[in-house]
Amino acid sequence: MIEIKNIIKSFPNTPTPVLKGITLKIEDGDFVSLVGKSGSGKSTLLYIISTLDTPSEGEIFYDSKNLKDFRPEEIYQLRNRNIGFVFQFHYLLTELTAIENILLPARKANEVEKRRDFAMNLLNTVGLEGKAHRYPGELSGGEQQRLAIARALVMEPKYIFADEPTGNLDSANGKIIMDLFKKFNQEKGTTIIYVTHDVDFAEIAKRKINLIDGKLV
Amino acid sequence: MMFLSIRQLMARKKQSLLILLGIVIGSSAYVAISGMMLGFQTYMLDQLVNNEAHIRISAREEILTIAEMASYPEASHVFWQIPPSGRKDSTRIEYPLGWFKKLDSDKDVAAYSPQVVAQVIFNKNKITRVGRIIGSQYERQIKVTNIENYMKAGTFKAMGNSGNRIIMGTKLMELLGTRLQETILVSTGHGIPQPFKIVGAFETGIKTIDEGTSFISLADAQKLRGTPSEITDIAVKLFDSNWAEEKSTLWKNNARDKVLSWQESSAAILSVFKTQDIVRNSMTISIILVAGFGIYNILSILVNQKRRDIAILRSMGFSPKDIVQLFFNQGMLLGLIGGAIGLILGFIICTIMSHIEVVPGRMSGPGNYMIISFNIFIYIKAFSIAIFTAIISSIIPAMAGGKLEPMQIIRSGDQ
Repeated sequence: MIEIKNIIKSFPNTPTPVLKGITLKIEDGDFVSLVGKSGSGKSTLLYIISTLDTPSEGEIFYDSKNLKDFRPEEIYQLRNRNIGFVFQFHYLLTELTAIENILLPARKANEVEKRRDFAMNLLNTVGLEGKAHRYPGELSGGEQQRLAIARALVMEPKYIFADEPTGNLDSANGKIIMDLFKKFNQEKGTTIIYVTHDVDFAEIAKRKINLIDGKLV
Repeated sequence: MMFLSIRQLMARKKQSLLILLGIVIGSSAYVAISGMMLGFQTYMLDQLVNNEAHIRISAREEILTIAEMASYPEASHVFWQIPPSGRKDSTRIEYPLGWFKKLDSDKDVAAYSPQVVAQVIFNKNKITRVGRIIGSQYERQIKVTNIENYMKAGTFKAMGNSGNRIIMGTKLMELLGTRLQETILVSTGHGIPQPFKIVGAFETGIKTIDEGTSFISLADAQKLRGTPSEITDIAVKLFDSNWAEEKSTLWKNNARDKVLSWQESSAAILSVFKTQDIVRNSMTISIILVAGFGIYNILSILVNQKRRDIAILRSMGFSPKDIVQLFFNQGMLLGLIGGAIGLILGFIICTIMSHIEVVPGRMSGPGNYMIISFNIFIYIKAFSIAIFTAIISSIIPAMAGGKLEPMQIIRSGDQ
C-alpha cells in the first residue's frame, strides 16, 4: 500500500506550489487514473509517488515505511524490484534489441537468464511475438510502447506508474495499451497508477483521481 | 554495465575506431621511439661503462699557488720576480698498495686493473701518429672492461705480461699503414723509441678510441716510461655500475688521488640522454593527449545524447554509480584495446627496425643490425600512459552523467 500525507511541491521561481497538500491512499491491486488539466500537477504527483521526484513537504509511505527513511540503495532496489515505469515516449535503448530492452531491469538484478523465458512470454502477451531480435527503430510507435510496457513488467513489480502512456498513440493502439494494463491488474494484481488526458481511458480505471490547481477534487 | 557499454561503443563504430586509432598511434609511437632511443642509449652506456671503468682512480692534478711556495725552506728570503705558476702533476698514484688493499676488501668491487696510461708517439716508417697507450695486466684488464668483445684480430691475451707486444685500434693501424704481426715504434717523447709487435686489433666503433688507443702490458708500459713499479691509474669495476657515483664520492673523501665515476666523466652524454628522454616523453604525451581529448569529447557528447537513456536506467533502479560505470567503461575499453594494439604494433615496428642493417660499429649489435631496446618497462609505461589517459578523459564526462537526476531529464522534455 502507498500512503501519501500532505504533499506540497514548489519549484523555484514559481509563486504558488504545484501541489497543495495532497493526501491519499493507494491500495495494493488498485487501478487508478490521475486526471486534470495541463499544469494541474498530475505528472508531478505521479513522479513524487513513484520516488523519481521528492516533495517539498509531506511524507510518502510504502507499506507503512516512510520513504525518508530509505537509504539511496534501498530506493534503487525498490525501483528495480517493485516499480515499473511507462513514459509518454517509450524511452527504449536504441542499441539494444527488443528482448534486450525488456531484460534491462533484470540485468540490474542479475536475473537475465532467470527471467528470459518470462520476458519472451511477455513479448508474446504484448503482441510482439517473433520480434524479439528487432531493434526499436524497426518497430512502429504502438509496438515500441507495448515493448516499454513489457519492460516495465519484467520484474513482476507491485506497482506500475505510467505518465500519459497513450499520449503519443492513435486510439487503436491506445486501447491496446489500456487493455494490457487492465489485464495485468486483473490477472497479476499489479497496482497501476496512470496519468491521462483522455476521458475514455481515464474511465477504464477502478478509481479516478481528479486534480485541479494542485488539489484533489 | 559492461554489456551496455560495449553495445554503445559498437553502435558508434566510426567514432570508436577513430579514438582507438589515436591511442594505438600514441602507444605504438612511444614503444617504437623509446625502443630506438633506449637501444641507442644502451649501446652508448655499454661503451661508456664497460669500455672504460666504472670508477677510475688516477694521479691528482694540482695548480701551483704562491702560498705553496711559502713552505719551502728559506722561503722568507725568496722574492719572486715572476711568481711560479702552472700545473703540478703527480705522474703516479702515490700509494697504490693502500688502494689495492682497500679494493680487495670492498665487497662492491668486482675487479680492478692497475694501469699505466701515457701519451705516446707511434711511428711506422715515415708515418707518425700521436695516441695513448694503456699498460695493464691482461688478466685483470679483461675483468674490468669488455675489450675482448671488440677484438677483430688476435686475442687480448696475446698481449702477455711482457715482450713488447701491442694491441691496436683498427683505425690507428690503417692510419699508420701497418698490419698484424708487423712492428712499430712507440715513444713517450723522452728516451729511445721502442719496437712493439702488433699481435691483435680491436674495433669499438668509437672513432677516438679506435684511432688513438693501444694496449700493451703493464711491465712494458712502465719500461717505456722509464718508471718501473709506478702506476698512473687504477680502473675499477663494481658489481653494479649504478653504485659508481656514490662509491667514488666516498673514496674521494679519504684520497689524495683523483677518483672519477663513469657518470662524472660522461656527464655531457648523460645530459643528452636526459634531453632525449624529455623529447621522447613529451612527443608521446602530446599524441596521447590528443587521443585523450578525443575520448573526452566523444563521451561528453554521448552523455548529452544519452540523457533519456540515463533517465530510464535510473527509473529502473540503476544507481548514479552504475551510470558513471556505463560511460567510464567505454573510455577504459578504448584505452585497454587501443593500448594493447599499440603495444603489439610498437613491438612489430621495433622488430622490423632491429633487422635494419647499419654501418658496422655504429649503433650496431651482433650482425651489424640496429640496436633496439625491448625493455619490458617501455611496454608497461606505454600501456600505463594509454590507460591513465583513458581514465582521466572518461571519468569527467562519466561523473557528469552520474550526477544527472531522472527528473531533470524528464522535465527538460528529452525525447
